[in-house]
Amino acid sequence: MTQRRKILIVVLLAAALVWPFVGGQYGTSLMTQIFIFGMLALSADLLLGHAGLFSLCHAAFFSVAAYTTAILQVRYQVPTELAAPAGILMGTSLGLLFGLSVRTRGVYFILVTLAMGYVIWGIGYRWASFTGGDSGVTNVPAPSVGGFTLSTMLEYYYFVLAVMLLVMYVYHRLIRSPFGLTLRGIKSGEARMRSLGFSPPRHLYTAFIVSSFMASLAGVLYAYFNKFVNPVSASLHVSFEAVLMALVGGTATILGPFIGAGIILGLRNWVSSFFELHLAVMGLVFIIVVTWAPDGVIGLLKRFIDRRKAGANHG
Amino acid sequence: MNSFILQTFNGISYAALLFLLASGFTLTFGLMRIVNMAHGAYYLFGGYVGLTIAKLTGNFGLALLAGGLAAMLLGYVSDRTVLRRVGDDHLAQVLITVGIAYIVGDVSLKIWGGDAQKLPLPLFLRGVIELPGGIVYPTFRIFLTAIGIGVGVLLWLIYRRTQIGAAIRAGVDDREMVSATGIHVDRLFVIISALASFLAGVSGVLGGAFLTVFPGAEWEILVFALVVVIVGGLGSLEGAMIGALIVGLLDAYGRWLAPELSYFVLFGPMAVLLLFRPRGLFGSANMT
Repeated sequence: MTQRRKILIVVLLAAALVWPFVGGQYGTSLMTQIFIFGMLALSADLLLGHAGLFSLCHAAFFSVAAYTTAILQVRYQVPTELAAPAGILMGTSLGLLFGLSVRTRGVYFILVTLAMGYVIWGIGYRWASFTGGDSGVTNVPAPSVGGFTLSTMLEYYYFVLAVMLLVMYVYHRLIRSPFGLTLRGIKSGEARMRSLGFSPPRHLYTAFIVSSFMASLAGVLYAYFNKFVNPVSASLHVSFEAVLMALVGGTATILGPFIGAGIILGLRNWVSSFFELHLAVMGLVFIIVVTWAPDGVIGLLKRFIDRRKAGANHG
Repeated sequence: MNSFILQTFNGISYAALLFLLASGFTLTFGLMRIVNMAHGAYYLFGGYVGLTIAKLTGNFGLALLAGGLAAMLLGYVSDRTVLRRVGDDHLAQVLITVGIAYIVGDVSLKIWGGDAQKLPLPLFLRGVIELPGGIVYPTFRIFLTAIGIGVGVLLWLIYRRTQIGAAIRAGVDDREMVSATGIHVDRLFVIISALASFLAGVSGVLGGAFLTVFPGAEWEILVFALVVVIVGGLGSLEGAMIGALIVGLLDAYGRWLAPELSYFVLFGPMAVLLLFRPRGLFGSANMT
């Protein structure tokens, strides 16, 4: 790790720690949301950035985990110690099933994951007797572990921050491991990896499950943050936006999806405060990002720094 | 027994609607390898324009034509302005066409409002017909099925029996080779893309008359059409026909037997396919 990167990490960490005192109630809530959706985007980017699989069903894991935890807590008064792991388990189990889609590639993978994700939305919406239909599950209590309750927004912010840092660390280790290297190998040349004796389907399936686990974790955090879960969390838009966030920030990086989540959520909150057609604005963002900045913010920054370095060398 | 037959008819008429949409999607993909997520938005836009025309003039034929033309225009504009530039990258294609769909959906919401609206039908399509065997069935559903079969036969004849069809089939297999023989694949694509968006618009008007038009309808119908294409195999017209029948019938039986869990039935064909035929029933190996 370079000196400069260490400084960057310390500065960002310090900023995250003091943020609630600068941003106030609204800022704290928004940043918590950015952390949660950043984790969702990071989970989608494990497949997109490292394995080259463009998945459109991450809202499914996210929402199934959120629904499971919310229903257990609200309807059956199951304590957080059990409800939260159960949510993650359900989301990841869905990943075990949906992971079958790694048998397909390219467009088929995109279409199959999109359709599967939509079915989960449809079930959340139609199976009203169990999921609460349109209005969903409301009044999710504050998470309480071992007699300690995270009752305020501030406490929950620091809890989510801690979980996020842990996820980032493990993710960092994972993509630097031989497993991560294998994934990138499959992305750049599947046939070559196969002839070297690797089994791409097995590695992609594993990556899919890890990715669904991360998305489920984000979903459980979301259920406690939002205090209610409805079909919107399962909609295609969430899956689209998760990918867009990764792309806006910079795919195949750790910080990128979080930067992207910040930009997208910040922009949406800002635009919707004065302009009615904010979904159309999001549509424009999709088009603009893909057309002009496919490497995202981090890509743009890198290009800028490289150019300055090149300029300095010439001077 | 009677309701089984009724549900079968429902499934077939829904299949007709799905085929109108899926055939365009599968052919544009086959020819240009463009994944167009805005295809559902063409359906929605066509449906809304048809609604306005039908309310203004009371002429359903005119509504069909207007809906089709409006969607065709929309398709042409999005082709020319953005889709042309994305190249072969599916990620970029999907996100850009999702962007287009968002814009169309949101602007439509602003113009036509958030309520589900039903297209008014002319008198002769409103009633029911008594079929042999004493089964009473809505006239419009039969009309829809007839259109679906008619368009299907027409498309199939063009696809299998004409020079243009031969060029399309060749283009689906190997675009470069077809260009090398002097056929303008680009010009061919403009024709196919216009046809596809026109059909999407027409199906929007037809769908609006029995499923209603509402914000979000574009995604619902798109997903069903995509499952049709996944089952049938990308780029195959015959695949779209068979796929539409499978999905339409399963959906009808699902709604009948387990209304709350009806979306579950979409998993069935996909799971079977993922296990046994990842490229769909008629999909070719070079289609990714």
